[in-house]
Amino acid sequence: QAGCLDLAGHFHLQFLEVSDSGVYHVQFEIIEIRSDKIASARKLGVGVDAVQHGVEALTYLLTESSKLAISEIDFQDSVHVLGFSDELNKLLLQLYLDNRKEIRSILSELAPKLPSYHNLEWRLDVQLASRSLRQQIKPAMTIKLHLNQNGDQTAQVLQTDPSTLLHLIQQLEQALGEMKTNHCRRIVRNMK
Amino acid sequence: KKCVISNLSILDDPDLKDIDPAVLKHCHAAAATCILEAGKHKADKSAISTCLEDCKLDRERIEEFCTEYQKNEDALEIILGSIGRSPLHITDVSWRLEYQIKTNQLHKTYQPSYLVTLNVENSDSGSHPDVSFSCTMEQLQDLVGKLKDAAKSLERATQM
Repeated sequence: QAGCLDLAGHFHLQFLEVSDSGVYHVQFEIIEIRSDKIASARKLGVGVDAVQHGVEALTYLLTESSKLAISEIDFQDSVHVLGFSDELNKLLLQLYLDNRKEIRSILSELAPKLPSYHNLEWRLDVQLASRSLRQQIKPAMTIKLHLNQNGDQTAQVLQTDPSTLLHLIQQLEQALGEMKTNHCRRIVRNMK
Repeated sequence: KKCVISNLSILDDPDLKDIDPAVLKHCHAAAATCILEAGKHKADKSAISTCLEDCKLDRERIEEFCTEYQKNEDALEIILGSIGRSPLHITDVSWRLEYQIKTNQLHKTYQPSYLVTLNVENSDSGSHPDVSFSCTMEQLQDLVGKLKDAAKSLERATQM
């Protein structure tokens, strides 16, 4: 039972049992994130509160299952406890299977995030002269780094010299190579 | 007259206390200007000598000036070259590899994630506004690929 959800005390799904015909409609409401509760209640012939509780219960069920990425069997076991009809249980399972990928991708966006890499542009320059020094030959790599920060894109212009550029490449290649070491592979294997 | 302009404290040098401060300042400014202009145009010894001869300096002093100048020429060029505005300069990079396991919103995320910090130096203020960002393995591969392209084109350019 380790992978199962503890649904006790969380559930107001009973009304779904009452009006099986309305289940698809409620699902639709959740997935489209529409919340026209009054219209839904009228169509289903139940109270507005019942619709709200139903939506909340389904939301809880789906987000919690997706968050834990529980297996099909664990999902069925969790829902089974609630004592719904087989048909409704099957419907809920299908709902979970159809939507868990999208829900997980939405949940992944909620994680605390640092600015993240988006793109890099570069330009090769050679400084030939300046006010204080004529006749220079000073190569420089100008780099425009695009980052995603709190949903916005920012860009900053940086510069580096040829030997530092080679050093950066060497360091970052080591970083990439680290993931292929036995140590990292062992951790990744054991985590699954 | 000694041709050293490393700092203004020379004006307080006890050896020079008998000289009129105004004259001393003029001499200092003249020597500084001469050295900076020579450095700016990368003047060679003969050009500097000709210029100083025009200013009626004697041979011995010109010789001494040129010797001192040549000793400090490289350092001078570096200082003059570093004056002026330029974009923030990357000096180094540090990285950290993490394996993401779960967040409060999502379990079993299981993916590697790199934290990269570019050490950056501001030539004007000497401050260090480091640039940090996270990236996935694919993004880091993209980043390294682009830097390699840049390095390749740099190599081709130096061969021309």
